[in-house]
Amino acid sequence: MTARVELQGVRKAFNEDRPNCLWAVNGIDLSLPAGGVTVLSGPSGSGKTTLLTLIGCLARPTEGRVRLDGRDISGLSEPFLAALRRQTFGFVFQRFNLIRGLSVLDNVMLPAYPLGTPYRRLRERALDLLDALGLGHRVEAQVEWLSGGEAQRTAIARALINDPAVLIADEPTANLDTELSLAFVEIASRLRAEGRTLLLSSHDPLIREATVVDRIVELRDGRILQDQARQGARR
Amino acid sequence: MIVQTPILALFLADLLSLFLLIPTGLFALQILRHWDPCSGHARQIRLEKRTHLVGAVVALVFLAQLLVLPLFVHTVDRMALQIVGAMCAVGTLNANAWGFPTLLLRIALFFLAAAWLVLHRIDARAPDYPFTRAKYALLLAILPLALATAAIQLAYFVGLDPAVITSCCGSLFSQGNASVTAHMAALPPLPTMVALYAVLALTLAAGLAYLRWRRGLLLFGGLVTLSFPVALVAIIAFVSLYVYEHPLHHCPFCMLTPDYGHIGYALYLPLFGATALGIGLGLAAALARGGSRRALLERSAPPLVVTASAGLGLFALLAAWLSWQSNLILLGY
Repeated sequence: MTARVELQGVRKAFNEDRPNCLWAVNGIDLSLPAGGVTVLSGPSGSGKTTLLTLIGCLARPTEGRVRLDGRDISGLSEPFLAALRRQTFGFVFQRFNLIRGLSVLDNVMLPAYPLGTPYRRLRERALDLLDALGLGHRVEAQVEWLSGGEAQRTAIARALINDPAVLIADEPTANLDTELSLAFVEIASRLRAEGRTLLLSSHDPLIREATVVDRIVELRDGRILQDQARQGARR
Repeated sequence: MIVQTPILALFLADLLSLFLLIPTGLFALQILRHWDPCSGHARQIRLEKRTHLVGAVVALVFLAQLLVLPLFVHTVDRMALQIVGAMCAVGTLNANAWGFPTLLLRIALFFLAAAWLVLHRIDARAPDYPFTRAKYALLLAILPLALATAAIQLAYFVGLDPAVITSCCGSLFSQGNASVTAHMAALPPLPTMVALYAVLALTLAAGLAYLRWRRGLLLFGGLVTLSFPVALVAIIAFVSLYVYEHPLHHCPFCMLTPDYGHIGYALYLPLFGATALGIGLGLAAALARGGSRRALLERSAPPLVVTASAGLGLFALLAAWLSWQSNLILLGY
């Protein structure tokens, strides 16, 4: 289930070759071993979200390579990228991006439809995930009725529906209170124990100081300022 | 004379094709000079991003070119009614010096475009661009051919003069002449028949062997390519005689006319389609020296081998049926 991610000389420009060109990520070399929790930290505009989208194949670098288990994934064509995104990466977006008008269960099942899993098996898996995240009683609720914590756990269940090796979460606790943030840390700890690679972006001290975190990569202006491995992270 | 819908459609198809192909030729030069999948250089990433768009554009142009050949043949066949002395497409093509060169260039363009499409299809099924460089090298070879075809076709249609009396198929495919076509027409039917069905049987056997053991794709491609001239010679030497039920009428074009129920299209479409696939597969097999490319071919080639074999099989069955149901007794009288 685990996957090793490597970045080699990765740069990403927006509005390239224009006067307002911005290098959001500017020369990142990084190796994320399989398994464990890595937090990308840094001020707003430091390149955290852009780096997550590059690793998760939501965007292509302007320069450099991203490799997954030694295989270059930054040059893949769109059909291969789509398959890789579905099967290897789960995303929890900062604003969760749940689809309004659909129930919690439908939102969770949606990313698995292209894989053609039989409906009954897919539904069972979605219900199991929602149960494990404490949302068993809300499966039929419309997502616009959910609280912030419920919406976040729905987004996590959706990210896990295809059993990805890598879970990427962008500022997962940005809009949550302390209690819900601690609940997220607990979920992250369980996912880490399952052997998944977790990659979070956050400048929330509660996340940075959590014992589950193995490594903190400090970013500023698209570059790595500090790369700090944590000894004795909670297993 | 050129202000006719099919001729304008042919001009437009060539014009649009060149409009799209010339810039992609510049891109192909960049690919040949700078393509390096191991590099993470910005230029390589940019080439990788653009190759998908350029590939889609070229595929669209070449798909259109596959349709242009039958349109061209149909157009010159229909124009026989307007040219003095013409009875079929041969008369129209003979009306000036550019007719047959245009047809031959169109056929060459058809096969090379199809070969490019086969490479493109196989290349798109691998994550690591195994045939990208070869694909764009082939594109650069096709580009001057497309330019020449468009120019010569223009010269042909502009130079058509309905007042000029042309000679038709009777003179071109007459057994008494010293031309290549006359020699083909003069070939004895039985040995030609044996040669045709032997080559087709051998090709189908090579196709089956590939499907069974995944070996011999190059041989299959080569045999399909060889089948094409043999089939054309056979059409001139004996199939046409059975179709027209006349022992001296060897024209391979008259069978396209409504007088013979357009049966020629039913013969030529599977033959040309199968040959196009065979050339593409043979080229891919010749390029697939590495292990990953060979594995890719083993995954991607079988449906194309089945389609090419089906095309040749259909051609063989139709040629045999035309010979069998004809009232002409060519053998054993």
